[in-house]
Amino acid sequence: MKKLRSKFNRQTITTILYPVLFGVLIAVLWQTQLLHKIIGADTFTLPLPKRIFGIITDNWSNILINVRATVIVALGGLVLGSLFGYLLAIVATVFPKWGSGGLTIASAFNAIPIIAIAPILNNLTKDFSKDPNIRSMFAKMLVVMITCTVSMSINSYRGFTELKPFSLDLMESYAAKKTAIFFKLRVPNSIPYVFTALRISVPACVISALVSEYFAEYVIGVGRQIRENIVLAQYATAWAYIAIACGIGIVMYVILLIVEGVLLKGRR
Amino acid sequence: MAVSNLAAKDEAEIDKEDRDLSMEKDFDIEIKIKDLCISFPDKEGGAPITALQNINLDIRQGEFISLLGPSGCGKTTLLRTIADLQQPTSGGISVRGQSPREIRLQKKYGIVFQNPVLYDWRSVRRNVCMPMEMMGIPKKERTARVTKMLELVGLMEFGKKYPHQLSGGMQQRVGIARALAIKPEILLMDEPFSALDEFTKEKLHEDLLRIWKKTNKTILFVTHNIQEAVFLSDRVVVLSPHPGRVSAVVDITLERPRSLEIKNTQEFNELVVKVRKSFESL
Repeated sequence: MKKLRSKFNRQTITTILYPVLFGVLIAVLWQTQLLHKIIGADTFTLPLPKRIFGIITDNWSNILINVRATVIVALGGLVLGSLFGYLLAIVATVFPKWGSGGLTIASAFNAIPIIAIAPILNNLTKDFSKDPNIRSMFAKMLVVMITCTVSMSINSYRGFTELKPFSLDLMESYAAKKTAIFFKLRVPNSIPYVFTALRISVPACVISALVSEYFAEYVIGVGRQIRENIVLAQYATAWAYIAIACGIGIVMYVILLIVEGVLLKGRR
Repeated sequence: MAVSNLAAKDEAEIDKEDRDLSMEKDFDIEIKIKDLCISFPDKEGGAPITALQNINLDIRQGEFISLLGPSGCGKTTLLRTIADLQQPTSGGISVRGQSPREIRLQKKYGIVFQNPVLYDWRSVRRNVCMPMEMMGIPKKERTARVTKMLELVGLMEFGKKYPHQLSGGMQQRVGIARALAIKPEILLMDEPFSALDEFTKEKLHEDLLRIWKKTNKTILFVTHNIQEAVFLSDRVVVLSPHPGRVSAVVDITLERPRSLEIKNTQEFNELVVKVRKSFESL
């Protein structure tokens, strides 16, 4: 009983129960059309949840194809961007003289809006493949990669350099080589910082994947379906894809939290 | 003539005996600090700041010696210089006839810092194991040594715990176990118990003396606590600040083994007063 009580502590309530209750409240207001009255909308532009759910179940196979495309872009960009960002942080740590300054310049890339780079990258990658799906996928992944690189490089650089007091002295007292210091101290120290970066990057990779699909040459993906259906005034279908997009973001974030919980189990 | 020859022979023999004695003494000396000066450049562009000035000190093998002084007297700087984590501006240190760097590269130092510096991604066992991994000691031997060290510091049943699951005193004991695991010749301790509460500190004092007796290491212990220095040491080196210099060396004649009860004796209190007076005269 004690164990059960400690599992459902205050933090669990604030992080899970409150958002769920808020979601249920919104769904009830929405389904009973009280929400429509509050914000002055009609059921054509804001269809009822039941109808949106019906569209999702009716078009499940179609939706899955688009979900697959979006997830590949989001995950592919996330992995590439995170690896590249981590690599940049390693380079900045190995060459400390210009390392942190270089990263500050790199962080300027973060200020470029996705809407601006997505069409440019589409244009730049037009010769990548003859298959429009592949070259389009590549362009979208590049957009996501740029979004994820900066947060990973800055955070993991902090992980490599912000060491506990005396930990470098301890290594030096054992005459540890630079490679040993790197692999036994800097890399393990950077892991929580990697997860801090991923907590920013995972939602960002889904958002940038959705936005990059808006501008992509090949018509596929959850983001593209939202746009296409709004253009055709099929708001219920558009809302179904919006709900799916939220679902993708939430599922990826939950997976991240589970992995983080397992890998950082021993740490406080 | 015969008498003068005899006298000359006697003198020569006495000289030889003296030389032998001093050689024997030198052999006994583990760390020799001669005219050591350390200064740091002033960050605001002024004259260099002298941290230590003309330090001369001999530390004998197996001795427990404390460096005692107020903040800013350079005691930690002195310890770091012996450990080759800091370079002297002039003068020198020899450790067993070698430079501190050579001793460090031979991994003959065990260092315990102000905080335990445990890696929170490693369990207690793996923290103790860490320096041995870097030395390339085979796994079987590492495991055996970790077990022995944890037994020595009384943490056998905590091997699988992570640092945040231990109290401050336990964490510091892990730090001591890790320092001893590589079988160092010299144990350098930089205010290791300063952040601990009085009860834990006293327990660790007794533990440290027990470990010292068992391992027979030379221990250089930095502290700003007079009672701690008197209770633990064979000699207390009092450092005065601005610039840091040796102002007194007090022999602690308390008999060993020592227990906490010794703190209630008149001899202990007299020694505390003697050390304190050497501060007052600064």
